Amino acid sequence: MKSKKTSQMAVNLGRLKLKNPVMTASGTYGYGEEYADYVDLNRLGAVVVKGLSLKPRVGNPPPRIMETTGGMLNSVGLQNIGVDSFIEDKLPFLRKYETAVIANIYGETYDEFRKVAKILSMAKGVHALEVNISCPNVKCGGVAFGSDPKIAARVTQTVKGETSLPVIVKLTPNVTDVTVIAQAVEKAGADAISLINTLTGMSVDLKTREPHLKNITGGLSGPAIKPVALRMVWEVVKRVSIPVIGIGGIMTAEDALEFLIVGARAVQIGTANFVNPQATLEVIEGIQEYLAENGIKDINEIIGTFSA
Amino acid sequence: MAKNIYIGDIVKNEEVQKDYFLMKIKVAVSFETPSPGQFVMIRIAGLNDPFLSRPISIYSFSRRSNFCLIELLYRVAGKGTQILAGLIEGSQVEINGPLGKGFEIQSVGKNAVFVAGGIGIAPLSLLIENLSRRFPSSLMTLYFGAQHAAAVVGLNKPHKLCHDVNICTDDGSLGEKNLVTQAFQKDIKKFSPEDTSIYACGPKGMLVSLAKILSKSKFNCQVSLEERMACGTGACMGCAVAIKDKKGMLGYQRVCADGPVFNLRDIIWE
Repeated sequence: MKSKKTSQMAVNLGRLKLKNPVMTASGTYGYGEEYADYVDLNRLGAVVVKGLSLKPRVGNPPPRIMETTGGMLNSVGLQNIGVDSFIEDKLPFLRKYETAVIANIYGETYDEFRKVAKILSMAKGVHALEVNISCPNVKCGGVAFGSDPKIAARVTQTVKGETSLPVIVKLTPNVTDVTVIAQAVEKAGADAISLINTLTGMSVDLKTREPHLKNITGGLSGPAIKPVALRMVWEVVKRVSIPVIGIGGIMTAEDALEFLIVGARAVQIGTANFVNPQATLEVIEGIQEYLAENGIKDINEIIGTFSA
Repeated sequence: MAKNIYIGDIVKNEEVQKDYFLMKIKVAVSFETPSPGQFVMIRIAGLNDPFLSRPISIYSFSRRSNFCLIELLYRVAGKGTQILAGLIEGSQVEINGPLGKGFEIQSVGKNAVFVAGGIGIAPLSLLIENLSRRFPSSLMTLYFGAQHAAAVVGLNKPHKLCHDVNICTDDGSLGEKNLVTQAFQKDIKKFSPEDTSIYACGPKGMLVSLAKILSKSKFNCQVSLEERMACGTGACMGCAVAIKDKKGMLGYQRVCADGPVFNLRDIIWE
């Protein structure tokens, strides 16, 4: 069912302009091409690619995933082809589309963040960087960078110093007060904030009494985490003035709308892609239907209209 | 955009042996013809527990004038397959597929040998069907192992199409009381690496034994692996298998997209 008059769907995340607020979440969409047979990538607000590091990473040993009630744990460990192969082998494909490409970047040191940011800033076809200071599955960096406001701020400054691209900082929920980190990265110059990354969790095999994941702990994603994610986005939106991107367990347009109403300017669809490769399109269409049904001409009219 | 998620209508879902089910699903004619070894991701739409799709290899496929029929032979192993087993005729499922890289079957030697453990027979049955059509002069020999007679499934087509079917059970309740890999090892001198292709699918223990048996020989063996998956399309990196690259270094490949069929020699077992 499509509405006759389509509402205006474009949103701005500071300088970054998106044709609609629906993006893919890093680590759930490969480098875009994995889903290009199922989805016309031109219809997406943005494609956020799998986290890129300076050198390729082999990732963690299997088993890496375990399904839990309403969600899944993963401990992939940022397996990726490295920034050079990304630019050479994956970016040309993405350049064919008129959709914003956001490179998610990861480093084990400030210097690695700096180098990855610099390399990607010179590559044609990258529209923004998303700084991953929130991966729970790597020994160095990752969540360690994202759970201390001073370190989070320094990573943000480091990346900002190397690039003129908009910088989004992706936050972890595995902290006492996410708003402290959010304010720190805003002050350090972040152009936008995205949250949440996965929640650290684990699962035990009753037969062997061993962990289901080789890494013991993993990151929980999927519909089970949506209420937590929504609460954290709501808290952060109140404390920062830069745009916030809502992530966490979004399966449907209704889920996405909740995030927009509490103040997220855009959303990322992650684990939903695994169970339904066309989830992003269904979310976009569902938002359009909701806007049409409620006589809302512009998506921006609904953002931050939460009444409590 | 070429691929779609198909709505499948279940026309049959019967328990062929205790905990082993055969599901027949009608899908639209636009469903791509699978090659042996490929699989589908199957799920009940809208279900959140479990909510991940289940990867199941294709046991049989046929194309009619106005629909395609997919057959899945599966074992109830957990909550997801338990729920699938409870679906009745007329129920609908979401099907994504065919997925993965199947067996390489450009050429087959004089002999085609299949080593199957339990439900591992499912993709091999489709392979046997395919090879017997394309290479009618090849001699096909199946070694099939199961725990006991009640776990012997999927042999209808192999019995018709194979030159020789050797059944082993752990308790001797059907066929020879032996491990399937030992039964194969006993016969290995009947085959020569130059004109024999080996295909295997089964539990990890069986594949590890097979790897040991073949390690000192020159036989080429393709194996289809099983792994927990989230997406089935290569994005989540969850179904990792340790593979030796060209330089002999370890790297993780995706069972769903780089496999599920791999060269047995490339796999690094723990």
